[in-house]
Order: sequence, then structure tokens, then C-alpha cells
Amino acid sequence: MTIATEQSLDGSHPLTMKKATRQVRDHLALIGTATWIGGGILLVLGIAALLAPVLAPYDPDAIDYRALLSSPSADHWLGTDELGRDIFSRLLFGARLSLLVAFASVLIGIGAGVPIGLIAGYVGGVVDELLMRVLDSIIALPPLVLALTISAVLGPGLVNATIAIAIVSIPTFARLTRGQVLSIKNNDYVLAARSVGVRPFLILVRHILPNVISPVIVQATLGIGFAIILESSLSFIGLGAQPPTSTWGSMVQVGFEYLDIAPWFVICPSIAIFIAVLGANLLGDGLRNQTMRR
Amino acid sequence: MLSLITRRVIATIPVLFLVSVAVFGLMRLLPGDVTDLILSDAQANVSEEQVAELRRQYGIDQPVYIQYAKWVGRLATGDLGVSFRNKQDVGQIILPRLWPTLQIGLMAILLATAVGVPLGALSASFPNSLWDKLGSLITFVGASTPYFLAGGVLIYVVSLQFNLLPPSGYVSPLVDFQESLRRSIMPAVTISLSLAAIILRQSRASFSDVLQLPYIRTAYAKGLSKSTVVLKHALKNALLPVVTILGLQLGLVFSGAVVTETVFAVPGIGRLLVDSILGRDYPVVQALVMIIAVAVTFSTLLVDIVYGALDPRSSRS
Repeated sequence: MTIATEQSLDGSHPLTMKKATRQVRDHLALIGTATWIGGGILLVLGIAALLAPVLAPYDPDAIDYRALLSSPSADHWLGTDELGRDIFSRLLFGARLSLLVAFASVLIGIGAGVPIGLIAGYVGGVVDELLMRVLDSIIALPPLVLALTISAVLGPGLVNATIAIAIVSIPTFARLTRGQVLSIKNNDYVLAARSVGVRPFLILVRHILPNVISPVIVQATLGIGFAIILESSLSFIGLGAQPPTSTWGSMVQVGFEYLDIAPWFVICPSIAIFIAVLGANLLGDGLRNQTMRR
Repeated sequence: MLSLITRRVIATIPVLFLVSVAVFGLMRLLPGDVTDLILSDAQANVSEEQVAELRRQYGIDQPVYIQYAKWVGRLATGDLGVSFRNKQDVGQIILPRLWPTLQIGLMAILLATAVGVPLGALSASFPNSLWDKLGSLITFVGASTPYFLAGGVLIYVVSLQFNLLPPSGYVSPLVDFQESLRRSIMPAVTISLSLAAIILRQSRASFSDVLQLPYIRTAYAKGLSKSTVVLKHALKNALLPVVTILGLQLGLVFSGAVVTETVFAVPGIGRLLVDSILGRDYPVVQALVMIIAVAVTFSTLLVDIVYGALDPRSSRS
């Protein structure tokens, strides 16, 4: 709109409109591409993880002492690790756990965060104040530091890492939901429902929740990328997946000892993490731009 | 203004209280107590009396709320307790570890700002240009790169392949300034990636908002060049939200420190936190988590107050 106004000062109105439409179309195309690429990446990774037993050229746990730390070749596309295990196969199987942890923690985060946000926003008053202060105190700790501390208390392991990541993500969903509730709870249709005596629970579920869903989906997509980074960081530090279980992050952890002689051992799982997170970020960002436009 | 400060300061009290209760509570939830940890190292058989004596010594024979009150009281006087591992004063352990983390964090913030702000301004001034595309590339790559990937690639290429910089360790700038820079530049670059992504995104958004305001159009109408308009007219107003977002990134610096200091073997508090957690040295963990929470809370508070002072509209809400 601004483009059109600026240009129309020159008196070249028809051209401006054309130009403006083209720019908007280009812009839409660009955002669309990002969304498609991001969604495509996640879809391919998801399918690869599901079909890991079919796609993997080797048994991910098969030890081969004749091929320790061998570099990428026709036999082993991404090389082998310190026990001669095929890194590509291990990445495929690792994807299952890495993605599962990310999805599960985001779902738990939503499951706890959205109801908290709904209640805080709708009830207001002391309840809101109390819930918000608790969330503030969770946010006072940086995500990784909090996840580390929780994992330390619960003990190392993937299930505990999932819980830790879920707890870290609760405030984001709760605050987002609360903001949405506050912005719509005094809309006419909500007031109307309240005035005819609809129970608060039904108002929340039927009239308010639907408005919360799309920003939550956007945040969940971005949250998956964040969860993948957190899980891999925890595993990298030694508090996530414990051997013999392995995720992308724990592969990086072991690989770092061999960085000078077998860089692929660190780089391949790291790039897998990067691609997955990039996919989630592109998709989340694209979806956000589209919902904002609406 | 004064009421704003008071209000904000008061709001932080319940937050810090809850954090301290949580930190204290979490450490109490751990299986076993201090005596189990200490005695697990002792080879000889220990008598019941000795265990009771240890429990008394650490004050864990008292009710939990009294233990909490005493712990907070000691914290307030700067007494952070005694490490399980080497019986050293926790404050003495943490203090020398703060400097490397702060130095690297500060370098990372400077680097990220030096890249993020100009590129954000360029992206906003020339939408859909090559600059804008480079800007979004850096934003996405920066936000998606795990610290160990950036660190691993830097160590492999810069240190192992080209032998340009040492791959690990830390030297204080007071001992050898040049060596200190050489050793901290790679960790700083690693942390700065995700920071740069955030700053760039914020700068772009904030410059494009400001560049659409009527006074900017007036400036163009006066015949001023684009660079004059952006640098002289837009910069000041566009920078305020950027400075705010910068102040809120202290947490990210600490998160980055945890992984980055592990990758580059930097003796900072991130590394200390990891070592203490893996070594179950809970007094150190407790103290570090509290220090980080206080630092993050106060930086948020400071940002709130500064923002309120610079933009009076915000303090009314």
C-alpha cells in the first residue's frame, strides 16, 4: 500500500499499481517458497525416519573393525564411526529419536501451556498474576541452562530430556495463548455467549480456543526446531541419549573426539540437525507470515 | 519515572523468590542427600554417628523451610556454600570463571551487532535486493546452526587445516592481550551466529517500520539522499527496539556459553555448570543457576527501565 502511495505522487498511477501488484506477488511467491521448502524438508526427514529400516544400507549397530573411521565412499556414503558403523544408517535411525523427542516435547509443552494460558487470560486477577509470575520465573533461566538443570535432577536419558525440553517450552505457549485470549475475550460474540449463560469451560473451548489454534501451530513449528537444538545440545553435553541409544546429538558428542582424523563424524550429524532445524524455522516463519497477512 | 522503577523492581521480587524456591527444591528432589554423595567417595565403613554428624554439619537434619531460609540468608551475604568435590568455597570457584564467559559473551554481542544492525538497515532500505536476500539467509542460517556445528567447522578449518588459531583454551587479556583475542575469537563467532540472526531480524523490522513514517517521506521530499535519510533520520528511532532486544539476549549468551565452552575447552561458567552437573557438585550448580537467574532478571529489569526512560509511552501501559 505504501509503495502505491509513494509512487502515485509522480502521477504514474497505472504503472505503480502494476509494480505494486508484482511486488506483492513476488513477495507472496517468496514466502510460499520458504513454507514449501521448510515443509518439504520436514516431510522428507519424517519419511526417512519412518522408513529407516528399509532405507538404511547397513544395520546401524553392526560393528565392522575393518572399517573404523573410514571416510565417505561408495560403500559408506557418509563414512563410518569409531566402531566402523555406517554413519548414514545411524543418521536415519537417529532421526527417529531426535524427531520423536522434538515432537513429543512440543506436544507436552502445548498440552500444559495452552490450558495455563487459557485459564490465566480468561480468569484474570490473582490467578493470572500467580500463573504469570511462575512462568516469569521459568523464563528467568536461559532455556539450555534450565533444561540442563532439570535433566541433572531427573537424571540423564532421553525421556527425562524430553520432559526437560517440554517444561522449557511451556511458558512460550502459555504466554502466547494468554495474549490471544486477552485480545478476544471481550469480543461481542464471547460476551453474548456469556450473557446467555454458557459455562466458562464451553466458552473457552468453543469460542476462544479456535482463535488460539493458528498462532499455536506456528509457534509449535518453530518450537520443533528449537527442541531439536535443545535435545542435541543436551545429548552433546552427555545428559540426553545414553549409549547404546543414539541421537544426532550424541553422535556429535562421540564424533568430537575424532574431529581431527574423521571430521565427517561430527559434520554429518551436525548438518542433519541443521537441516531439520532450518526446515522447521522456514516452515514456521512462512506460516507466521501467512497468518499475519490474514 | 520513579514509580516505573519501583513497580518494575517490585515485580522482580516474586520472580526471584520463585526461582530460589525452585532451585532449592530441585536440588532437594535429588535421590539421596549430601551424605550419600560425600560418603560414596569414602572407602571405609562409616558409622551411624558419623553420618548423623555429617548431616548436622550440612544442616540437613533440620526442617526444609529452615534449610531454605538459612540458604537464602547465606546467599544474601554472598556466602555461596562449599563445593562437595574439593571442599572449596563456591564463590572462590565461580569468580575466576566469570571473566572468560563475560569476555567471550561481550565479543559475541559486539560482533553480532556489527553484522546485524548494518545488514538489517540495508535489508530494510532495499527490500528484495541482494542485501535483503543475504540478510534473510544469515537470519535463517544463524538461527538454525547448533553451536557445536559452527564450533566444529571453525576448529576443523581454522585450527586443524590452516593452523591459524589455537583450537582451545583461554588466556586472560591481562596476561597476553593478543593471545587472549586469538583464543576467544572462535568461541565468540560461534555464539554470535544466533545473536546476529536475532539482531538482524529486529533491525530489519524496526528500520522498515521507521522508514514508512511520514517524517521520513518529508526528508525524501526535501531532496535528501537515501543514505542521509537512513543514517541521520531513521537510525536513532530504529535503534531503540534493537537495543532493547540486545539487552534481552543475556540468556542466549549463557546458553551459548554452555555448549561453546565445552567445544572450545574454555574455563568459563558454562563449562563449570556442565562439569558440576556431571560431577554432581550441587552447591556449585545451585549457586551458578541462581547467579544466572539473577543476572538475566536484572538485565530484563534494566532494559525495561531504560526503555521506559527513552520512550515515555511504554511506561504508561
